[in-house]
Amino acid sequence: MIEIEKLGKIYDGKPALSNFSLTIAEGELFGLVGPNGAGKSTLIKILATLLRPTAGKASIAGHDVTHDPRAIRALAGYMPDVPGVYSDLQAHEFLEFFAEAFHLHGKRKSDAVEQALAFAGLSDRRSTYVEHLSMGLKQRLVLAKTLLHRPKVLLLDEPATGLDPLARIELRRQLKDLNQQGVTILLSSHILADLEDICTRVAFILGGQNATDSEGRSVVVLSSAMSDSLLCEIEVLGDAQSAAAIATQFAGARVLETKAALLHVEIKGGPERASALLSHLVAARTKIVRFDPRGPDLEERYRAVFGRRSS
Amino acid sequence: MNPMLGKEFRQRMREKRGWILPSLYLLALSGVVTAAYYFTAATAQRYEWREIQGSQIGQVIFVATTYVQLTLLLLLAPVFSAGAITIEKEQRTLPGLLTSLLTTWQIWWGKFVSSLLFLILLLVSSLPILSMSFAFGGIAPRQIFVALGASLLVFAVICAIGLYCSSFFRRSIHSTAVTYAILVALTVITVVGFAIVQSQMDNRPGPPSHSAMRCLYLNPYFLVSMAFVRPQEWYPDWYLSIAAFVVMGFLASFFALRNLSRTGEQA
Repeated sequence: MIEIEKLGKIYDGKPALSNFSLTIAEGELFGLVGPNGAGKSTLIKILATLLRPTAGKASIAGHDVTHDPRAIRALAGYMPDVPGVYSDLQAHEFLEFFAEAFHLHGKRKSDAVEQALAFAGLSDRRSTYVEHLSMGLKQRLVLAKTLLHRPKVLLLDEPATGLDPLARIELRRQLKDLNQQGVTILLSSHILADLEDICTRVAFILGGQNATDSEGRSVVVLSSAMSDSLLCEIEVLGDAQSAAAIATQFAGARVLETKAALLHVEIKGGPERASALLSHLVAARTKIVRFDPRGPDLEERYRAVFGRRSS
Repeated sequence: MNPMLGKEFRQRMREKRGWILPSLYLLALSGVVTAAYYFTAATAQRYEWREIQGSQIGQVIFVATTYVQLTLLLLLAPVFSAGAITIEKEQRTLPGLLTSLLTTWQIWWGKFVSSLLFLILLLVSSLPILSMSFAFGGIAPRQIFVALGASLLVFAVICAIGLYCSSFFRRSIHSTAVTYAILVALTVITVVGFAIVQSQMDNRPGPPSHSAMRCLYLNPYFLVSMAFVRPQEWYPDWYLSIAAFVVMGFLASFFALRNLSRTGEQA
């Protein structure tokens, strides 16, 4: 659905994006992760046709973002990190304006506006001036506006910025629902827990380039989707080194880190294999205080990718 | 209808200035007419003219109202146009427009027409006051239409310049300041240029030289003064002045559209 090939963008002589490549399949809910200034917003703006790339190419559903921007605008919805609203318009006027801007007229317009109001939870506050809406409601209104023309692709740049926890939970639910309806979603976020909860895959970006983890992967599949590996945190009584040596002998287990009485082991094969590893360690007379199998944590991965660079 | 137009009209008429400005504007013009009448009558009394002609009062009212109206609206034009696009940048609504199916032409046209229409509203609302000069005589309807037409051209060009500045700068304050600077250049510096060139000519009697007049082609007051001269005198200076304004307006519009199409970089 989204093809990005060696994309580059230079701002004032400095590269904001360089040689970045990515492929997102139709129906994916894809996350983009990276520190501030990594190039996430630049990438999303190029896909939304706001910026022209200086190198490489990108396309959505076969339409080149540089050469066919109107086709992209017709099939994609873009929500910036700080979405702007017209404070002096009422909620329904705001949506009506954008419906017309997307060439929706007559019944199509009124249906789209009603659906958008319902989506934003503003059906009973349609005549409320936008300036009187809370931050969360404004965000929902802008997301609803982005959906007016029923885009097949959503490009969301930090959509949870400034939202309180409840609004974030609601946003995650809405994005999941949209994704289940077949909308391909690319979103960037600093809130890793959100991405982990809803995304099928995430890509790492740093300095405008594809960043890779210790295994050389720039795109990782998240446990929420289809990952078959678990990260086990094991606390032992005594020396963790001998426990690590025993764990290493177990098929599919890989010791990632040993620290005092604590070791982190990645085990392929899901909970059954984790249970087998536990049995293996106990059989080898390892005194286990705590055994905590978790999925591969995005935060861990993030630290592995970006922590080593910042340190 | 262009969706931008509907939105712009709705927003502009909801602003307090939507009704405060026309009220103040009409009040000021009424004051000018009253002052012009009493000034003319008092002057006649001071110089012991036997009897003052109504047409003299009519002409004074017409000239004073036209120039004061031009001055007031020139001062207001940047307020409406120079912030039109920067406000979209400031409130971060421009990306929403640029990623919709609106063309840059539609965005520009919506902004241009809504800026200009407010000035036209003020211009039209002053017609009854301007027409008071008819009551005294000495003014032909043609002169009023020429004054209105020339004023309209001037305001359209100033709006186009304001929109160009608005498309170029990120902040309304910068855009407005530069538009006013351009306005000063057009109204004051052109007159200074005229005075300098004229002073370098021989002190011969008669009308100013064409070389000096050229400095005034971009002066709004000069263009509007075509309402006070006979049509036979329009050629060549006023025709060239009209051409100069039209070219300036087209250039400003062209570059504003170009900036707008590239403005995603600022959005």
